[in-house]
Amino acid sequence: MVERGILSRYDFRRPGVKLVYGLVIVIIALMVVSMLNPIFVTLFNGLKTNAAVNSFPPTFFPDGWHWRNYREGWQFFDMPLYLRNTLLIFGGNAMVIFVVLGAAAFSLSHLRVPYKRAVTTFFLMTLFIPPTTYIIPNFVNIKELGLMNSFWAFWLPAGANAFYLLLLKTFMDGIHHELFEAARMDGASDWRCFSRIALPLSVPIYSTLAIFIFSTAWNDWFWPSLIMHKSTMYPLSTAIYKYVIGARQLDLNIRFAILSIVMIPPIAVFLLFQRFIMRGLQLGSVKG
Amino acid sequence: MFVLPAAAIFIVFLWLPIAKGFVYSLYHVDFVHGNTFVGWDNYRTVLSDRDLLVAVRNTLYFVGLCLVIGFWVPIFFALAVSELRRFQGFVRASAYLPNVVPLVVLYGLWRWFYDPVGPINAALQALGLDSVAFMTDPDWSMISIVLMETWQQFGSAMLIYLAAVLSIPKDWYEAAEIDGAGIWARIRHITLPSIRNLVLLMLVMQLIATSQSYQSQLAMLDGGPMKATLTYALLIVKYATTKLEIGAASALGVLMFLVLALLAVIRNRLQDKGAGA
Repeated sequence: MVERGILSRYDFRRPGVKLVYGLVIVIIALMVVSMLNPIFVTLFNGLKTNAAVNSFPPTFFPDGWHWRNYREGWQFFDMPLYLRNTLLIFGGNAMVIFVVLGAAAFSLSHLRVPYKRAVTTFFLMTLFIPPTTYIIPNFVNIKELGLMNSFWAFWLPAGANAFYLLLLKTFMDGIHHELFEAARMDGASDWRCFSRIALPLSVPIYSTLAIFIFSTAWNDWFWPSLIMHKSTMYPLSTAIYKYVIGARQLDLNIRFAILSIVMIPPIAVFLLFQRFIMRGLQLGSVKG
Repeated sequence: MFVLPAAAIFIVFLWLPIAKGFVYSLYHVDFVHGNTFVGWDNYRTVLSDRDLLVAVRNTLYFVGLCLVIGFWVPIFFALAVSELRRFQGFVRASAYLPNVVPLVVLYGLWRWFYDPVGPINAALQALGLDSVAFMTDPDWSMISIVLMETWQQFGSAMLIYLAAVLSIPKDWYEAAEIDGAGIWARIRHITLPSIRNLVLLMLVMQLIATSQSYQSQLAMLDGGPMKATLTYALLIVKYATTKLEIGAASALGVLMFLVLALLAVIRNRLQDKGAGA
């Protein structure tokens, strides 16, 4: 229990304060309801009959639990294929970021790198350049490199992320230098220092990053729609955008069932790993 | 050398496209016949485009709306939630939950919400108000998008503010109270000054982020109705995808870069002041 905040126990005895405090609590409750309501609406609409979703005024609770919608939604298009593509993108991105940026962060904070300051600036400068200003040249660049319709168009650029590099470097700065000196005394190479000491000690930051990378891969629909011209290569989000959001022939209840299927995994990840996500948020605010 | 792979990737996938943006803006880009140098022609094209003015105005309008509707909300709730003695964890989690809703779900869901016969209009009708054409009325379409984005994003901003508010030492309030400071005076003279730098930083970050906005406008309304949600960034995308004028799109990007670079420098100044603390 908090012993006091801005308000003290003494304040709470005054009726005026009580009234305003009560009002604020009502506002917070309203906020919570309006945050959660749309999420439940999505879940419940996915379980209604189509007639019930289309009724006016709409009802909140489903008229029955029509789990069959999920099967129909699953079969509406090749969900497993798109899911596989999304997971492939996530896995590849994570590998590149973990290895390439991890190694770079490690050497920038614990090894002797010539022109270290200049090199660090070279990496971190990119944080200042708003991504939208070069989105089109970036796309042309991918095209000229011949990476269109290939997952490499996601995996390699994923490593060009100064924000993740900064998070990794800040974390590794916190690992004591003596650890590596001791290891080197025992004859460990740089690589062993990285793989046997720095990596295992950085598991917390890696888990935070993994969640970031997962949500980016799960969320991104626009960039893949530029890069992937074969529909069999679409990740789930792009496929949903192309085939579900704009679809006219699709019953609303099935549509919401599909949206629920896409929404449930990230919510589950959030509820399971809340701790890491909250920490990531703080990291992002301190310097990012 | 462990930095080399990262350096190579940064050069090829970040610095190269950034540099190419400047180069392409002076060329007519043709994937089949090769590029030809056209000098300032692309700039002339985009600057004489009537849509440019519309797009700039829409972007400023969007940025302004995001400030008016979205900026104070997380600050207010951070203060309010910090005073909660129970259920704080639950409120935090539920405020953040919309953040993890995938964008495409957000679009699908809110399209239905904003439907002429959707739940919001049903509620308005129940209250005896006129129904609103959220999506098709040019006066409402941008507001609708801002409301939707505020719903999704305010939670993360709130949590950042909340952490700052909670890190203020409680003794300060105690001391101020003994000196006779009322509640409002405590908020005004202790809480707000303590988070002042953070508020400024978040303001600049929000300006940078919102001025680049295009995805919701594209997915929800494709820039319509009557170009009411055609933002500057969306114009860039449209130049490249529907008009296939890569050079002109790059020129627009360069112009935007010049404006936003200024904001980025300000942001960095603020961060160096230790705004996150």
